[in-house]
This record gives sequence, C-alpha cells and structure tokens, in this order.
Amino acid sequence: MISSPFNSIVPLSFSSSSSSSGSVMLPNLYDYPRPKRTNFTSRNLAFMPLKCIHKYRFDSSSESDARFPSFSASCLTATDARLTSSDLVADRLRRVVAEFRSLPEPIDRVKRLLHYAALLPPLGDSARAPENRVTGCTTQVWLEAELDELGRVRFRADSDSEISKGFCSCLIYMLDGADPEEVVKVKSEDLADMNVGLHGKSHSRVNTWHNVLIAMQKRTIALLAGSE
Amino acid sequence: MVVGNLPSWKPFSQWQSTSKLSNTCKNEFSVTCRLLFCNCAVLLWKPLLLSFHLSSSSSLRAGLRRPFSLSISASAVREGDPAVGSVSLGHVTRTDFPILHQEVNGSKLVYLDNAATSQKPTAVLKALQNYYEAYNSNVHRGIHFLSSKATDAYELARKKVAAFINASESTEIVFTRNATEAINLVAYSWGMSTLKPEDEVILTIAEHHSAIVPWQLVAQKTGAVLKFVNLDETESPDIEKLRQMISRKTKIVVVHHVSNVLASVLPIEEIVVWAHDVGAKVLVDACQSVPHMAVNVQDLDADFLVASSHKMCGPTGMGFLYGKRELLSAMPPFLGGGEMISDVFLDHSTYAEPPSRFEAGTPAIGEAIGLGAAIDYLSGIGMQKIHEYELELAKYLYENLLSVPNIRIYGPVPSGNTNRAALCSFNVENIHPTDIATFLDQQHGVAIRSGHHCAQPLHRYLGVNASARASLHFYNTKEDVDDFVRALNDTVSFFNSFK
Repeated sequence: MISSPFNSIVPLSFSSSSSSSGSVMLPNLYDYPRPKRTNFTSRNLAFMPLKCIHKYRFDSSSESDARFPSFSASCLTATDARLTSSDLVADRLRRVVAEFRSLPEPIDRVKRLLHYAALLPPLGDSARAPENRVTGCTTQVWLEAELDELGRVRFRADSDSEISKGFCSCLIYMLDGADPEEVVKVKSEDLADMNVGLHGKSHSRVNTWHNVLIAMQKRTIALLAGSE
Repeated sequence: MVVGNLPSWKPFSQWQSTSKLSNTCKNEFSVTCRLLFCNCAVLLWKPLLLSFHLSSSSSLRAGLRRPFSLSISASAVREGDPAVGSVSLGHVTRTDFPILHQEVNGSKLVYLDNAATSQKPTAVLKALQNYYEAYNSNVHRGIHFLSSKATDAYELARKKVAAFINASESTEIVFTRNATEAINLVAYSWGMSTLKPEDEVILTIAEHHSAIVPWQLVAQKTGAVLKFVNLDETESPDIEKLRQMISRKTKIVVVHHVSNVLASVLPIEEIVVWAHDVGAKVLVDACQSVPHMAVNVQDLDADFLVASSHKMCGPTGMGFLYGKRELLSAMPPFLGGGEMISDVFLDHSTYAEPPSRFEAGTPAIGEAIGLGAAIDYLSGIGMQKIHEYELELAKYLYENLLSVPNIRIYGPVPSGNTNRAALCSFNVENIHPTDIATFLDQQHGVAIRSGHHCAQPLHRYLGVNASARASLHFYNTKEDVDDFVRALNDTVSFFNSFK
C-alpha cells in the first residue's frame, strides 16, 4: 500500500494566492469535507469514466484524512459551500507537491507516478485522435476538455507513456472540475517541487508537465471563448 | 562509486592557476603514468582514480588533467588493448572532460547522448576563457591591437577547420550558427537562385529535419520537387534506389554521411559520382561523421558539406559550411548586414567575396576560436585513432544491447563489411522510450535521448513514434556501456513489474 506522511506544510508558490481576496484560505486538512457527487447530465455522459477517479487517493497519513481515504477528485467541487475553486486547486496542488516531496528517493517518486498512472482511466481509440494530441511532448499525450453545466472544466487525458500518464493523472487530479480562471492561473513552476520527470523549472520543449498544463489552459481558454 | 567520491571540480576561474605540481604529486603522477604505459593485463581505471583521490588535492587533480592526458594519450592508446578494463582511448581522454566526473541523481554520470551534443575538453574551455579574458574584440574592422589579435585567431580557426576536413583553401569555410543554418544558407542562396519548377531534390527519409525542412520551404517557393529514398532490407538508406532516382532532373542530392538514428554510413564518394554524372550537386550533412572519423572533402568531392561545432567538442552557437570555391563565389548573399558587404549605397550594395559574403553581422568569435581549439584537441588524438576506437565501442554497444530482452535495435546489423557508428536507437517492447530514458536518468544517472531525434519521417517509416538512443564518443568506455546495459536491464524489469 502506497502511503506518504503528510507531516509538514510545504511552502509553495501558487499563483492563485495572489487572487483578489488576498487571503486564500486553504482547507483545513484535518477536517476535510466529504465530497458530494455531481449529477452528470447527458452532456456529461462522455465523461462518465471520470467516476473512476473517485478511487483517486493522494494519500495522507493525517488522521482525519484517513477518515476520508478516498475522496473524489472530480467531485470535490465548488458545490461544497466551504471551498471555493481556488481553494481546491491550491489544496490539491499542495497535497500533490507535498506527497512527492515526502519521497526522497527518485525511484519512489517514479513508482508513485506509475501508481497514479494506473489509476487514470484509459481514453478510447476515438479520443486518441490527432486533434486531441498535446504537441511538443516526446511521448504521445491526448487531452479532452469540456465545460460542465456549472461552467467548470472537465479534463480527460491519456498517454502511450506510463510516466506521462502519471503526470496527466496528477494534473487531472488538480484541475479537473476547477473553475476555468483557476485552471489558467496555475504555473508550471508550481509543479517543479515534485521533482519527478524533468528537473527543476525546466522549460525544455520535452517537459511533459509544462506541455500538458499549457494544453489544458489553452483548451480552457478556447472553451470559454466558444461558450461566449 | 569512486568517481562520486572525488573532490569537486575547481571553479573555472581557478583552473589556470593549478598547473604546478608538488613533488609528492609529481611522484604520484609518474607512478600513475607508468601504470598506464604498462601494456599488460587488465588495468582498471577506477583504482587509478582512487589513487588520485587519495594522493592529490582537488586543485592538483585539476592541474594534472591536461599534462596527464596530453603526454600519454598518443603512446598509451597506441599500445592499449581495447579489451574491457584496459587503458582505452576512453579511459585516457575522459580525464580531459571535467563534466563527466560528477554524480547525477546519486549515481556516477554515464553520458551517452553524444549524438545530441558532445562534451567539451578543458582545452576548449580554456581557449574560450582566454579569448574573453585576454583579447575579446570585434573582428575584421578594428585597427587596434585586440581587434587584430581576435581577427587573427578567428581566421586561424577557419584555417583549422579547412585543414581538418582537407578543404583546398580556408575561404571555402563559412562560419554559421550551426549546421542547420549552414543547410539553410545553401537552400536559400544556392537553391532559390538555381532551382526551377520540376527540378528535383533527392533526399533520404533518414535525413534530420534540418536537412528536410529548408528544402521543403525552398521547393514551395521554386516549384522544385523533393524525392525521398526509403530504406532497404538491411534498414539502411536504399543506395540502389538512390542511384536509380538520380536523373537529369536532379539538381542536388542532400544526404547525411552517418545517420543519427540508424548508425548507418552512406558511401558519399559513389553518390557524388552518380550525381555529378547528371550535373547535380551534393550536400553532405556530416554532423555525425566529422566528430568521429577523418572526413576529406576533396576525396569525397562533395560540393557542400556541413557540420556542427558542439557535436565535435567545440562550443555551441557555431557550425560551418564547406562549399567549393566556384560555387560559393557564384552564390548570392543569404543574410544582409555588416561584414558581408563591399560597398553600401542607399539603393544597392555590392557584396564581399566568400566567406565574408555569408557572414553578416558580428560572428561568434569566441565560439569559432573554441572550435579551433576543439579541432586541435581532436587532431592531437588523431581522427583515425578515434574512429578505430569508436568502431570497437560500436560493436560492443550493439552486441551487449542485444542481450536485453525484447529489444529492437534499428539500423543495419553489423557484419564484416557493414560498420555502424557508435550509437544505437532502440525500443523495448511495451515500454515507452521516454519512460526508459527518464528512469535511466533518475535511477542510474545514465543520460540517453528519447524521442524522434529530429527524424520523424524515419520513425514513421519504422512504424514507431519514438525511440531511445544511446550514442557514444571517444571519451566513453566499455564500462560506460556495461553500466548502461545493466541499468537498462534494471529499467526493463522495473517497468515490467508494474504491468
């Protein structure tokens, strides 16, 4: 069983922390709300496999998290009154970064990534279409994005590389179901602390973290433009 | 991890001041040299490094590096047995490359991405430092002392390049930013002024993107047609098809010398004869050959040949175009600016003679001088010696890689009359090459390349999106290959355990 101690709050730079409120409150990790599930409309049927992500578990060893061992990435959404979308993205980002930072051995970080890769539901052949390709990666990555009835962005992704699939899995955990403006605020630098994949704040053209994140943001902007 | 325990390298700025050896260290040095010169038995390098570690400070070690390698490289290598563990060219020369002696992700660095870029010996780093410290100045225009010295050094570098590839005169060498720019120069200058609709440009599908895309752009503008030669059953470019494809319509044949993916070597002399028979020119992409073997442009009779400094132990930002004098003289400028003009009027200009005509703006002076130093370094070892050693490494790499389960190595199978370059592009069944490269780096400190290696059409032909590639240079050793293959086996086991 893979688990990681969640024993320290890791300082991180997160772009949304400079949002207009000036005081983004991260959710109390020791009193994490049980997620509510969204009723999928027929338009969202294409995203039904996302329910598999209910099994997502960016584990934490904190006691109260253990009470909610299996929170839903896709459904921890703005429907919960206590959490804004920016809280959610910030919190998820912090959890993922902290989890990977708690693993000092590179091989353990790769193993963890592969663990999350295995949790990502595969895309069907029709979704693995050229128009869904994320360009610029040395691996093949496919990304689908859609706005749900509440105006939140829903992502699905897949790759022919297990490690890239792990990146996609983490990014989907962080950003799926978030408000569009929160999606576009995240910077690839925020992910560098995970220290898995390319080193540091690499702007290499093969940095899958960067390329997939940018693709998610571009699709989000296009969806917003299309919906107006 | 002997190497990992070595003292860290001194800062660049302190290198020059570390050349004096203490008596103790001189003794150690002579003992070590005797060990190296002895032609017997299996002499392991790691204990030698350890002895350095124990007996010399980091500054002494840094100071030792140059005289050590310069004094022994020729004789030790000549007598050395290429068998595993003996003092090979790799063992002797790797001490000249400070960057190789470091840990990456907790493991000794094994650098096998030389086809992407080579590492730089201390001699090149010192040449760059010396230029910027002692005589940095603009070339070809200043009349002061520094400018005169910089101009001499810059033009001396051109002479070194010319001699290195046996061009008949140094004015046949045009300095460019890289080989890509050199190909673009030919495509835009020669191609745009020569090609007409229906004229044919012949290439192979194994060309680097930088040899394909400029000709696509020029073909779109001129109406010329690009024709591509596929691979034959040996997985080398089909030379027979190439020969048949050459016709009176052919105006230029654009081919690599050594493939950066297949490791195959094309018979340039024959291709040139076939092309010249129909009045066509030949442009040789020699990026993967010039750093690894003796290349003689007069023997090849190539019309144009390009190579890249950073792949031959020189600095980045520097490449060169060789062009036959009469061809360069007839070609219009590619880029406009200073340096390349004779006289400028408001409505027109007259252009300088080659090579200045093609070197608009202030050139990469320090980098050219660094390339000259790299050529001195390579010539000091001898390109024939480098080539022979790399053939041995190539065979060793290929044979050992074959032991990895479910591996597919691309390119020709080495045999009596088929030599491969010292690189292998490969895939392991059901594991993405990028996953392999990532794990090799993170877990084993082994640097290889993954992706399409700027050869997408070739990968498409091979039926894959990407491959992994290990590419060696003369400072690699059979131990590097052993480390890599061991790490690759571990990587394959790791990913298979997740399935």
